[in-house]
Amino acid sequence: MNSKKSEVTIDETENKDFLRELIETNITRRLIPRGLSWFGCMGGLSFLAFTIQLGTGIFLMFYFIPAAGETTASIQRVSHSVPYGWLIQRIHAVGPHIMIGMIFSHMLRILFKGIYRHPRELHWVSGACLLILTLLMYYTGSSLSARNGNGHAVMHMTCVYALHIAGIPLAMSLFMGMHFFMVRKTGIYEPL
Amino acid sequence: MKDYTKGKSPEMLEPFFPNELYRHIVVSCFLVIIELVAVILFPLPFKVVNKPDHIPWFLLPVYKLDKLIKNEVMFISILVLCALLFISWPFLVSNRKYNLTPLNNAEGANGRCARHIKECPNLWQRPVPFMIVIITIISVITLCFINP
Repeated sequence: MNSKKSEVTIDETENKDFLRELIETNITRRLIPRGLSWFGCMGGLSFLAFTIQLGTGIFLMFYFIPAAGETTASIQRVSHSVPYGWLIQRIHAVGPHIMIGMIFSHMLRILFKGIYRHPRELHWVSGACLLILTLLMYYTGSSLSARNGNGHAVMHMTCVYALHIAGIPLAMSLFMGMHFFMVRKTGIYEPL
Repeated sequence: MKDYTKGKSPEMLEPFFPNELYRHIVVSCFLVIIELVAVILFPLPFKVVNKPDHIPWFLLPVYKLDKLIKNEVMFISILVLCALLFISWPFLVSNRKYNLTPLNNAEGANGRCARHIKECPNLWQRPVPFMIVIITIISVITLCFINP
């Protein structure tokens, strides 16, 4: 009994040490080049804007009905009946403009400073794919709204809805994973 | 994980926590404020992208191109070609000689010289890619103002 207890205690201590080391290596004791530009935060801001879109999108998903004669009504219901629904709906509508603005400024900085060059080509490739997917995300999202139609249109809308809530976000997550992995591996652009 | 401490003196480095984290928190707060102000000032309803006044600024060139080119197959082909060129841009303009010169020297912490390879010349230092980018940007902006 006592030996089992001591094994559990050792495991907990090992876990705590592992966690402490992970935090120290990646956050508290990590050193980065001095004088990084504030504009370097644009990528992080794009990710934050995406997270806001994801959060508000998940909230709206509970109320949106992609069926004939129901789309407009469900959007109206969120705006007028659900507490703070109007705010969430407006943030989800305005968010893409800010998100795409952030991505454009991030990419223009990288383009003009030549940061896409060797060994960071794949950063650019994944980032460019993310921009295209974001534009597609906006297009599919706007296609969903305020559309009531017949059977064929509803079938088309279901496909668009599936793409908007699952297909494109999944592809974006994959490209984001690749983007972040590449940034960790080859490092950020360092001023000389 | 990339180690930034290699070949650098302590003066050339700063801690990630709290310096970089603080920078990110400040700009994140700005983003949230901008988003909330935009919600109040521009209460955009959800709109279908099929009318000129429903087109957002970032899709306007695509919409105008669609109106200019009547053939749908050609329009989609041009879009796909542009997307492919955009994605493969680093490989199209790659020129390794820029990666090898010049070498900059900086004094290290213990008297040794830290060497850094200048691997990212700015776009304006390379005339041909710079001209291509500027012409493309001007063309896209012009496209937004064309009334087909």
